[in-house]
Amino acid sequence: MKLSRWLVASLALISTGVWAEPTYRLFVTNEKSDSVTVIDSRTGEVETTLEVGERPRGIGLSPDQKTLYVALSEENAIGMVDVATLELLGKLEAGDDPETFDVDPVTGNIYLSNEDDAEASVLNPATGEILAVVKVGLEPEGVAVSPNGKYALVTSESTNMVHVIDTATYKLVANVLVAARPRGLAFNADGSIAYVSSEIGNELAMMDMNTFKITKKVSVDVPKSKPMAIKLSPDEKTLYLTTGRGAAVAVFDAATLDLQSTIAVGKRVWGAELSRDGSTLYTANGVSDSVSVVDTATNKELKQINVGSKPWGLALDD
Amino acid sequence: MSKLKSLGIALLMLFSQWANAQVIDVTMHYVGPTEGSAWLGVQQGVNEANLQGQFLGQAYSIKPVTVDELATMSDITAVLVAGDAATVFQVAEMPALADVAVFNITATDDALRQACLPNLLNVTASEQMRKNALAQWDSKNKDQKVSVQGWHEKFKKFAASQLNNRFKEAHGVIMDDDSWAGWVPPKMIADTVARTQSADADSMLAYLKNELAFDSQKGAGATFRETGQLRQLLLLIDEENKIAAEAPLRGVKGGLDSLGNVSCNK
Repeated sequence: MKLSRWLVASLALISTGVWAEPTYRLFVTNEKSDSVTVIDSRTGEVETTLEVGERPRGIGLSPDQKTLYVALSEENAIGMVDVATLELLGKLEAGDDPETFDVDPVTGNIYLSNEDDAEASVLNPATGEILAVVKVGLEPEGVAVSPNGKYALVTSESTNMVHVIDTATYKLVANVLVAARPRGLAFNADGSIAYVSSEIGNELAMMDMNTFKITKKVSVDVPKSKPMAIKLSPDEKTLYLTTGRGAAVAVFDAATLDLQSTIAVGKRVWGAELSRDGSTLYTANGVSDSVSVVDTATNKELKQINVGSKPWGLALDD
Repeated sequence: MSKLKSLGIALLMLFSQWANAQVIDVTMHYVGPTEGSAWLGVQQGVNEANLQGQFLGQAYSIKPVTVDELATMSDITAVLVAGDAATVFQVAEMPALADVAVFNITATDDALRQACLPNLLNVTASEQMRKNALAQWDSKNKDQKVSVQGWHEKFKKFAASQLNNRFKEAHGVIMDDDSWAGWVPPKMIADTVARTQSADADSMLAYLKNELAFDSQKGAGATFRETGQLRQLLLLIDEENKIAAEAPLRGVKGGLDSLGNVSCNK
């Protein structure tokens, strides 16, 4: 009771105070052209391109959505951009070869994978301090922090595991074997379920976050599929999975993992982003050098927007 | 009382699984030189197997033996051979190893595939596969001379660069064909034990041949044919030691099975 009152109070505070008016900017990392394309998501037009640093890959927003973070793999750094002014705010040391990351929605700390060192690092972006380094399996890739901030998941691609890190202690509490070359991760809203995609195993799996057991898994029935990014609709009924060389987004029933439809998008579809209302899905198409805009009501691609070379990931301020 | 007891046992099992108390120890045997490329690859594979195993409660070791020593042993889990065709045949045809996975790391002889031995797993690509790769290239590129390799230190795709990087860092030399093929068996065995929670030789062999979806770090589809040959892409290397193309070449029908013979014609 006390807790729920506190939650309501803090939610009210967040909704009125902390968040700035959204800019509706869609940010795209271009791995090969060392840039971030800024798209006005309301018009689908490119607003500008930011030179951010070398080999930008992972991308995400601070919990207040005022700061954009970009993993600069070749610079061993996380770059920061002011979402409103598009000013480059500086770079934070992030350990060797940061590839992807996720922002803890509660603390704002950045959990990132250091691919070449078989480590995950926890970075406080306010101070630039590395709070912890956690040894994980070979080639850590995907990172996701649960919505309640309790757990951080890291996939290790060459040891085929999801590592579960307790964010209170920075200790591993479980290591869960999944199909070969796990990459993408996503949570449901209360953090009770996590989803994992496996590239070589061509599999989508569902994990119970109370038992850390895989409760369901399916093969992805899309030609040439190499599963990557996962997005869950706001009503948690629909799951979108990008399929890399499959050049399509696979649409699943999030509860049964039944494949409902496939949406043709650009080549080597990689990162994905979903609008807050769930109406629009965006994908980064690495070989087509474009971003696809997909209407989720009809599951049709509306258009492709040309961006930089080898687009990798997306973040939307909406 | 019995309820309480079974609850206790259940809790105990849960706990031991949690604490990785039940460690599965796996000893692999190795016939071949204990220096050079293949051996470094094997060591890299064992190190990586243990890196996975430490999270899951499995420990791996490799024991070099001679063919003669092997002939006197029992309870073998898996054997890795880096030798010529005669040595591979000699090991694979030992009666005591009939249900034990024998990995051929270095011998490219077609005869080892044509024999279709049920326990022999050929990791390196056969002569026939290499010839087919070259023919695919020659049919499209008449002038440029290339050679065929299974691996290359400049190969980047499919996370090959990550494997190249960590191998070079660990051993100070580049990863070549033999070291890649040496790296494969311990990784495959570790993945099999992790998924089956068993180190029984015969179930391991069955899993390796029929179920394993292995990440060879050179693309998907690294499964064994009924000939015991590992499906894999090959690299065409030009005279400047650059990767000119991957085989199967674009547009060739049959995918990975356009390289080499696929089935046993008995």
